Amino acid sequence: MTAAFSLQHVIKQYKNQMALYDVNCACEPGTVFALLGENGAGKTTAIKILLGLLDPDSGKSTVLGLDSRRDSLEIRRRVGYVPDQPALYDWMTVDEVGWFAGGFYPPGYQRHYNELVEHFELPPGRRMKELSKGMRAKVSLSVAMAHRPELLILDEPTSGLDAMVRREFLESMVDVAAQGRTVILASHQIAEVERVADIVAILRHGKLVLLEKLDDLKDRVCELTVTLRNGVPDLPKIPGTVLHRELKGRQWRLLVRNMDESQFDGFRIAENIRSVDVRRPTLEEIFVGYMKGEPVSETPHEVPAL
Amino acid sequence: MFVHVDPSNGLAIYDQIVRQVKFAVASDALRPGNLVPSVRELARDLTVNPNTVARAYRELQADNVLQALRGTGLEITPSAPKKCLADRAALIRGRLRSVLVEARQSGLPADEIRSLTEQELARLEPERDPS
Repeated sequence: MTAAFSLQHVIKQYKNQMALYDVNCACEPGTVFALLGENGAGKTTAIKILLGLLDPDSGKSTVLGLDSRRDSLEIRRRVGYVPDQPALYDWMTVDEVGWFAGGFYPPGYQRHYNELVEHFELPPGRRMKELSKGMRAKVSLSVAMAHRPELLILDEPTSGLDAMVRREFLESMVDVAAQGRTVILASHQIAEVERVADIVAILRHGKLVLLEKLDDLKDRVCELTVTLRNGVPDLPKIPGTVLHRELKGRQWRLLVRNMDESQFDGFRIAENIRSVDVRRPTLEEIFVGYMKGEPVSETPHEVPAL
Repeated sequence: MFVHVDPSNGLAIYDQIVRQVKFAVASDALRPGNLVPSVRELARDLTVNPNTVARAYRELQADNVLQALRGTGLEITPSAPKKCLADRAALIRGRLRSVLVEARQSGLPADEIRSLTEQELARLEPERDPS
């Protein structure tokens, strides 16, 4: 099966700052692929490289089997893209935006655009400059979806929007995914990502530090709170990979990956350990662990089949 | 049947859906022959990924809780109630175990844990059986 998109050994540097460092990933069609990372981690750079809006220094990227560099125009015809700051002409009305954008796409675009406008309850005759932020975001989403793209790319689509608009965006994403199409979602709203993502990728300073199915990630990572008997903060060897550790008084909090259950009971009754509480962390807590912790280089670069 | 999903719960969402369908069957809210909502409908309702709902339904089919009804959707199987009651017991055993672990870690002797359990059970008895 052709990957919905792929990045192969992509490197991109701005002046003296590394934006993407040897990033490898691929994604099957029909997936909701969430891209997480702090501001400046390289998310938008990765998206722009995929769309062919930006050339990588080296490496290759593909979208729907097309080469991002060579077939940029064709890619932009087949992909829907909602940038974090939608560029819409202030003086155009909602209707006119659909007519204008329709010129770049095959017939039928405008009809579906109008359906979306109606669905989102947008005022067709109102100018962009008179719309609220939420309404403008919905116009941008309608523009991106009206040609029923095989891949929908959303870059921070809901930052600064109210809960109801965010909900509508989520519902649209669910609909797109239900039709077997692919979504790339770059977001800071980790709780939302947790609802809709199949696969989670985390970029940190331009490096891909995690690429995994969300369900597997949640199965594999646990949080331990270890209370020690006396003041020496030494811990016995942890039966798993420690992503992050933090000491407060006589307690350690550890984010552990791939804990070996068979060795865990031995750990629990080790000398100097008074008690161990095990909890399943949220995606947000896992994210923070990956951000604060020492880089772990056991991430698989091939995404497992869904 | 009302399904409620808490994404920040450590349990994977598909697992939450599986458990809630089983609990609904075990508590007689869903009966054999009842249809569950379509994948798309439930995904939209919960605003979760449709693949997640599909995965939950696949697991429920593999567990013989759901079966495909040609052309219409998925229905609760005749054998589901028995299976779901057993699964519910297994889940409760798991939770009981984690409470017991906590009790042991807090230093309570086994006898005291037993008597606490008995007391709490005794408090429930009159409520469950008023006669």
